[in-house]
Amino acid sequence: MDAHKQAFIEEAYELLAELERSLLELEDNPGDMAMVGQVFRAMHTIKGSGAMFGFEDIAAFTHNVENVFDQVRSGTIPVTRELVNLTLTARDHIRELLDASVSGKTVNESRGVDIVLALNRLVPLENGGIPQGGKGEEKKPAPDMVTYRIRFKPHQDLLAHGTNPVLLLSELRDLGDCAVTAHTENIPVLEDMDPEGLYIFWDAVLTTDKGLNAVRDVFIFVEDDADITIETILDEDDFTSAEMPRPKLGEILLKHGDISGEALHQALGSQKRIGEILVEEKIASRASVTAALTEQNQIRKRLEQRGESAAQISSVRVPSEKLDHLVDLVGELVTVQARLSQKAAKQGDPDLVAIAEDVESLTSGLRDNAMSIRMLQIGTTFATFKRLVRDLSGELGKRIELTTAGGETELDKTVIDQLKDPLVHIIRNAVDHAIEKPEERLAAGKDATGTIQLSAEHSGAHVLIRIRDDGKGLDPQVIRKKAVEKGLIPADADLEENEIQNLIFAPGFSTAAAITDLSGRGVGMDVVKKSIENLRGAIDLVSRKGEGTTITLKLPLTLAIIDGLLVQIGEGFFVLPLSSVEECVELTESQRKSSKNGNILNIRGDIVPYVRLRDEYDIRNKPPALEHVVIMETFGKRVGFVVDRVIGGHQTVIKNLGGAFRDAKDISGATILGDGTVALIIDVNKIME
Amino acid sequence: MAKKILTVDDSASMRQMVTFTLKGAGYDVVEAVDGRDALSKIKGADIGMVITDLNMPNMDGIELIRQIRALPGFRFIPIILLTTESQDNKKKEGKEAGATGWIVKPFKPEQLVAVVKKVFA
Amino acid sequence: MDNTNMENTGQFLSFVLDEEVYALDIHQVREVLDLTTITKVPRMPDFMRGVINLRGGVVPVVDLRLKFGLNASEKTVDTCIIIIEIDLDGETTLIGALADSVQEVMDLDQDQIKAPPKIGTRLKTEFIRGMGKKNDRFIIILDIDKVFTSSELSQVADKENETARFDEQVQRA
Repeated sequence: MDAHKQAFIEEAYELLAELERSLLELEDNPGDMAMVGQVFRAMHTIKGSGAMFGFEDIAAFTHNVENVFDQVRSGTIPVTRELVNLTLTARDHIRELLDASVSGKTVNESRGVDIVLALNRLVPLENGGIPQGGKGEEKKPAPDMVTYRIRFKPHQDLLAHGTNPVLLLSELRDLGDCAVTAHTENIPVLEDMDPEGLYIFWDAVLTTDKGLNAVRDVFIFVEDDADITIETILDEDDFTSAEMPRPKLGEILLKHGDISGEALHQALGSQKRIGEILVEEKIASRASVTAALTEQNQIRKRLEQRGESAAQISSVRVPSEKLDHLVDLVGELVTVQARLSQKAAKQGDPDLVAIAEDVESLTSGLRDNAMSIRMLQIGTTFATFKRLVRDLSGELGKRIELTTAGGETELDKTVIDQLKDPLVHIIRNAVDHAIEKPEERLAAGKDATGTIQLSAEHSGAHVLIRIRDDGKGLDPQVIRKKAVEKGLIPADADLEENEIQNLIFAPGFSTAAAITDLSGRGVGMDVVKKSIENLRGAIDLVSRKGEGTTITLKLPLTLAIIDGLLVQIGEGFFVLPLSSVEECVELTESQRKSSKNGNILNIRGDIVPYVRLRDEYDIRNKPPALEHVVIMETFGKRVGFVVDRVIGGHQTVIKNLGGAFRDAKDISGATILGDGTVALIIDVNKIME
Repeated sequence: MAKKILTVDDSASMRQMVTFTLKGAGYDVVEAVDGRDALSKIKGADIGMVITDLNMPNMDGIELIRQIRALPGFRFIPIILLTTESQDNKKKEGKEAGATGWIVKPFKPEQLVAVVKKVFA
Repeated sequence: MDNTNMENTGQFLSFVLDEEVYALDIHQVREVLDLTTITKVPRMPDFMRGVINLRGGVVPVVDLRLKFGLNASEKTVDTCIIIIEIDLDGETTLIGALADSVQEVMDLDQDQIKAPPKIGTRLKTEFIRGMGKKNDRFIIILDIDKVFTSSELSQVADKENETARFDEQVQRA
């Protein structure tokens, strides 16, 4: 039992003892209102704290008793022997409920019902009927984008309530796309001003999908201290973009009540811009016009965005095989172009070199274009998981909400296709093992509803996909024990918490104690890791016991062609993904020999470890006197790779090594150079592990 | 330095819960058991916000708000009232006395943090 | 015989490894190449010689001598790469096999093929589909899919991987 519950139980026992004393005293002095107040308070605290700490039965029952005593307090019900008797019985029942929650026994519920019924008979008829606070947590379907016009005009004494209007406005901004205009025209001259008074008011235009209630909630505490008007000016569900209204400035001002219709007509009669005229003529304040212009802009902006999405509909559907074929052809073209460039450079004919350069730039344009055609938003994939989470959580009796962000992030179709299975597995795992049952969550002081956040974002030539849950996290001790049992690590291995947690990716490791129908299909996290690596991606996990787990997938934008850095070691050529390259530095023989304590470089004060690839790859010919270090970065870690020679950027058409080399360590593929030589693509993520 | 919040409640478990939640959210918390205790602790303690229960012996929440607002230097301090659903009329009374906002019990820890953030920069 | 994908074509390509004659079902042979530059893939077992550029595609090459535990060979003008189509875990994939020389395409009737001997070969018997006889010479007919199953291909690699994994743990420890 957690500490809060324990504290509540102790306190409740004390309160019950106090309640008994007060009731007995009340029996002797029925007119003692202080005693009535004490009884009420004790009930009130038991109810309030009970509900907070998960003792719903106690809270519900006590609520009824408290209600009766509220009326005793207000004098509607007299203190009688019967009342005291019943209340004492009620007190004993609460004690029983409490005992039961400690011992885990069950309580005769009908007794509680009898007591409540008897208590209710004491309540005069017109006050009868115990109010039942039925708080239905119905989920409404996600509302569309709605644009609101909000005028927040605080009363002069708002600050005296400890309210900071700036916080309210920033809360408003957090809801969506929001533009705020301050009206300062009501500020009086200095001698008339109350230094503690508030004279400013605000107009805000907010576009949000959070719904009207969320907007109202911002002002919930100041409803009585301010004039707040919230009007819907654009509900995008109501219009198709073609028929969306495009309001004129004068109309907006009119709607705000800042000018009269007559004044508007007059102003419209002249030739200048209406806003300027109205200000000049002192018909409307500068701020009113600014606010109206802001609103006009916001609507225009929304309409343009809608227009864009409408334009996307006029697209062409093409079978994906055609696109795949296009990309293959482009890949071959890139290879041929590399041959052409090399040949041209060798022959030294300036005309041929110029042509080769033109072909190169066209090829590169064609490549980007072909790639972008095959890019898809990941949002569609995300959307399918909503249903998955909904169904799975229902089966398991859990309450889980899946939120997604960055659905507009684009990835190559082939990446998305192959990403789906690993994602399903990770999400199933989260639903199945990470998120606790509602009771467990409440007991741990969490919201009964767990959340799984699915988000995607660009990071250079990569896309980061995060799956974050607020479940129970990974227990390093459990994992460690299991890893030792399975012989994955020696019993005395000194590993950091995160290293232990990442052991769940080790082959043959599966944390599920009981294999359920859901995620125990013989597929472990090692398979997830493998599939991500097959996508030339990497996986990272951060977890805190009791708080949740975040899994980050780092994926390349495309599997077909990448920008690479071509390097040479011995006679072999290798490609490093340019997106991870930070810089290249030189490594002299003396430098190398001087750093005796391990392979460490000092890059402007930062310690960067380096790997000498020729040692790793057992390349034995004589190294050049001056070697080069390519500094690579991935998941925030920097490592240098020592190579003989850095040749330069290379459009790398990725070829699979084929099934035979599926076990190749730290080589993720190959590419063909201009002269037909095969160069190997180094998997930086794997080496860095 | 962490911002300091004074929580006033006669229920030890409520105090513990509020303190635990707010400390978890990075605030400093001072506890008081009733209105009188709160008044004695608020002065000179660099309190930036008060969260008070309504029903308390010695001095209830409404009276506490009135007295705090009358103190020099506490005219604009945010004060949150803890109420229950059955005390809807008390919200109004509390507002009139100078409360900044309220939280309806029972509440979840994250709701408390949300309200505190709402009134407390 | 359980090779469903090998209907009895009766045609085989024979080649030489360390003076012994082997044969492959012609249906699985895509083409025969002269020896070209093989790019070594680091940290793979020796018999995995590397990859070659086959008209823009990348094809792995296996040294059958080393795979079968024979001595490594000097390369000669006759050394060649036989490009074979194999079935690897349900996927048809190309693989190159390094041979000392290619001899001929020959017809062998079913009754000319005997069951593989239990003893007396240097080869694992499961690699052998049968023994043929031509001009009084024995020809070892390979079951090439068995030679190139994923477990055979990664056999050595796995051992390396395990030590590597262990090393990793030790380093972490």
